[in-house]
Amino acid sequence: MGLIQHDVIIIGAGVAGLTAGSILVEKGYNVALIAKGEPTACLSTGCIDICSLDHDPLHGVSHLPDEHPYHLVSRAVIRESIEKFKESMVQMGFPYTGSPESNRYVLSALGTFKTTCLVPSTMAAAPQDEKDDLHIITFSGLKDFYPSYITARRKNASFSTYDASASTTMGLATNFEREDFLEKFLSWLEKLNIQEGKIAFPAVLGLESAATITQKIEERLRCKVFEIPTIPPSMPGRRLFNALKDYFRKKGGMIYWSWPVSGVEKTKKIIEAVTTPSEGRPKSLNAKVFILASGSFVGGGLTARRDTIVENIFNLPVFVPGQRDNWFDSDYFSLNHGIGKAGIIVDSSFRPKEADWENVFVCGGILAHTDVLKNGCGHGMALATGYAVAASCMGYIK
Amino acid sequence: MIKTDVIIIGGGATGCGIARDLALRGIPHCLIEKGDFAAGATGACHGLLHSGGRYVVSDPHSAKECYDENIILRRIGEKCVEQTGGLFVRLPGDSKLYRDRFLKSCEKIGIPAEIISSTKALDLVPNLNPDIEEAVKVPDCSIDPFRLCMLNIISSQKRDGIIFTRHKVTEIIKEHGRCVGVKAADQVSGELREIHGNVIINATGAWSHLVAQLAGNEVPLTLSKGSLVITNHRLTNMVINRMRPSADGDIIVPNEAVCLAGTTSLAVEDPDKIRIESQEVDTIISEAGRMIPHFNDTRIIRAFSGVRPLLKSAKADSREITRGFQIFNHGDGMYSIVGGKLTTFRLMAEKTVDTVMDYFKLKKPCETADIPLEGQEELSGYPLAKRLADMKNIVCECELVSRAEVERIIKQTGTRYVGDISHRTRLGMGPCQGGFCTFRALGIMHEKSIISPEQSMNALRDFLQRRFRGIRFCLWGDQLREEQLVEYIYMGILALEKK
Repeated sequence: MGLIQHDVIIIGAGVAGLTAGSILVEKGYNVALIAKGEPTACLSTGCIDICSLDHDPLHGVSHLPDEHPYHLVSRAVIRESIEKFKESMVQMGFPYTGSPESNRYVLSALGTFKTTCLVPSTMAAAPQDEKDDLHIITFSGLKDFYPSYITARRKNASFSTYDASASTTMGLATNFEREDFLEKFLSWLEKLNIQEGKIAFPAVLGLESAATITQKIEERLRCKVFEIPTIPPSMPGRRLFNALKDYFRKKGGMIYWSWPVSGVEKTKKIIEAVTTPSEGRPKSLNAKVFILASGSFVGGGLTARRDTIVENIFNLPVFVPGQRDNWFDSDYFSLNHGIGKAGIIVDSSFRPKEADWENVFVCGGILAHTDVLKNGCGHGMALATGYAVAASCMGYIK
Repeated sequence: MIKTDVIIIGGGATGCGIARDLALRGIPHCLIEKGDFAAGATGACHGLLHSGGRYVVSDPHSAKECYDENIILRRIGEKCVEQTGGLFVRLPGDSKLYRDRFLKSCEKIGIPAEIISSTKALDLVPNLNPDIEEAVKVPDCSIDPFRLCMLNIISSQKRDGIIFTRHKVTEIIKEHGRCVGVKAADQVSGELREIHGNVIINATGAWSHLVAQLAGNEVPLTLSKGSLVITNHRLTNMVINRMRPSADGDIIVPNEAVCLAGTTSLAVEDPDKIRIESQEVDTIISEAGRMIPHFNDTRIIRAFSGVRPLLKSAKADSREITRGFQIFNHGDGMYSIVGGKLTTFRLMAEKTVDTVMDYFKLKKPCETADIPLEGQEELSGYPLAKRLADMKNIVCECELVSRAEVERIIKQTGTRYVGDISHRTRLGMGPCQGGFCTFRALGIMHEKSIISPEQSMNALRDFLQRRFRGIRFCLWGDQLREEQLVEYIYMGILALEKK
């Protein structure tokens, strides 16, 4: 038995866990979030994909197979979760553009269009067709961005290179946070005398103040500016994570970092505490309710073994998409890999099916049948299920 | 049109060895390879420089050849052979009788073989299964097959040998019943080159029956597929063999930062249509795991198959077919060299070139066993200190390959293939298997205007599809996590279309 009794403990600091946590904290519950490390959100584009199967994402959701966890929440809940998210991001100074009524594009680092729904304001001006003239700014030595991938596809695009003596996106973003660097850069940019209507940057325009930096460049150059998401480490992903995390803490939530769960304390139907190794004896945290938002494979919620797939915290029953041979399709690009369906099957209140526990709720990427890449529902599904799980928990605690 | 004396088809170890031998004997020659060097069985093997122990019971003649060549290669290729030593470990239940025959035969042939206790064996290789009965120590070594090919080619290039990689022979030109030349298509531009010569040597391994057919000739071949897995790190510093008649998964070879384990043996028909199966991967892992238990939980980064070109035999089990080789004189100016092993490539080259010298009625003897391989200093691996010197501009984080190194290879070879860069630098050979660095390498290639960005998009798709074939059957644990991340990068972030 631990010393501290929480109402809710959330496992995982990704979009789903932090969303559920913020709502519960705002409703007055005592919430602690434990995390092994940073979430996969940090690796993401920072964009919120709701469902890319249709131009109208909510319409797209209705095309999803019956087992998809989106069907456990109503359209109204999806809308509410998006509204809630947008409000909190405004409060954190990292506003998002877009609405769940229609999808939009961001320009990828290969010059293709990535379908998404909500984008950080730094990507709001991304072209939606082939028409816009673009001028791309890149940085000498930056290893994760090659503008010629884009200029090859877009006839009306050109680029210039700035020497910022940093070769990583993180290094550049840190530079952009410095006023003197930004000033020097802006005067260089002005001298370029760019004729094109829009200026594109790899997503390195700062870490905390990206929205303001983008705005500042727009005002000085008097043209539209947008960022292009890069491969990890991704600044927009990290900004999203920071904003969600800070929001949760600002509302009174507590986060224990580097807190890998090594065991659970339980009675017949109830999980009482989770424990982590520490010097001397294990530490434990008690709660009335546990929310599992530990992500899929990359996040570390699931582990694939040679012959099966296991859930790492509570050893919940996992939906395994057949034998290992069926986990992947032979065509890499088919997006029809069985593994995308692996995860935890839950009931209508997000409790794991066929498990003994009545105080465990599951949300986000660890849910079964999500097929996140195929359906283009990354982060959107996490927001909606995180939001819905918070409601289920409140119902249970009452 | 190019005129030369000898045309070599095939850039595996045998073809490259023949080029070196001809160069040292002063015979003008031209080597044509449809892919990169070591693209066939040479590059798809363990990289084991056999002591001969593996064949000492079943095929003493091949074993003797292996041991003699092992000594020669250690001498001439000091910098490209890793003198690991090898153990044949006997597990509980493995026949003691086989061990006795093994030792007797080693003694007869002259292969040094020393029995050591399991305690001593575990001192040498701490990861070994503590239950082993005993081990026999033999002079097995590991060798980098790609580097070996390159080193042989250097000797040829220094003496005006003409080398065409990425050129596929599409036609063998015959006049009055004799082979007088070949037409080869540049695999990039499609351009046809005509090369004339007096002798054509077919050193195309598993494809030799197909190349011989172009001239209306036949090569009796049995193709046997062998599969291997690569671990994320080195689990042993010595070659580990199982003390029993050849079977699946009985060899583990340390090579640079990784270990290779295999093999399997399955008869196949078409060398271009082979695929690995997850069952093979499981078999190799559990068999290798009997010798080194840690194999069962170690990260496998890739699995691959190669095709052994064996001399045709009535034997049903391809393991029983001799690893010996044979030169076929087709009587029309074409010679095919078939069979053999990576370990005996130099000897195969020597015998082939002897045949050519007889044809030309020239006397100069072979010197390949006496002169050390040229260029070893530059090609002797890529020391860590050198790799770490340019940390800021690392393009491949797994294998620490810098941007400057990638640019150097692009400049040197003018290559349009990421694979050529990988072979020469180890780019993309680490745990992420090129997931991050290929996007970068192709970006650099079109920055240098070697390829158009359209070509790089195709290359990216092609690379991912190919990469996937190598890792598909090793996807669990951390390798599956890595794969999911890479898939997210290309599909989720970069929105790469299927085409």
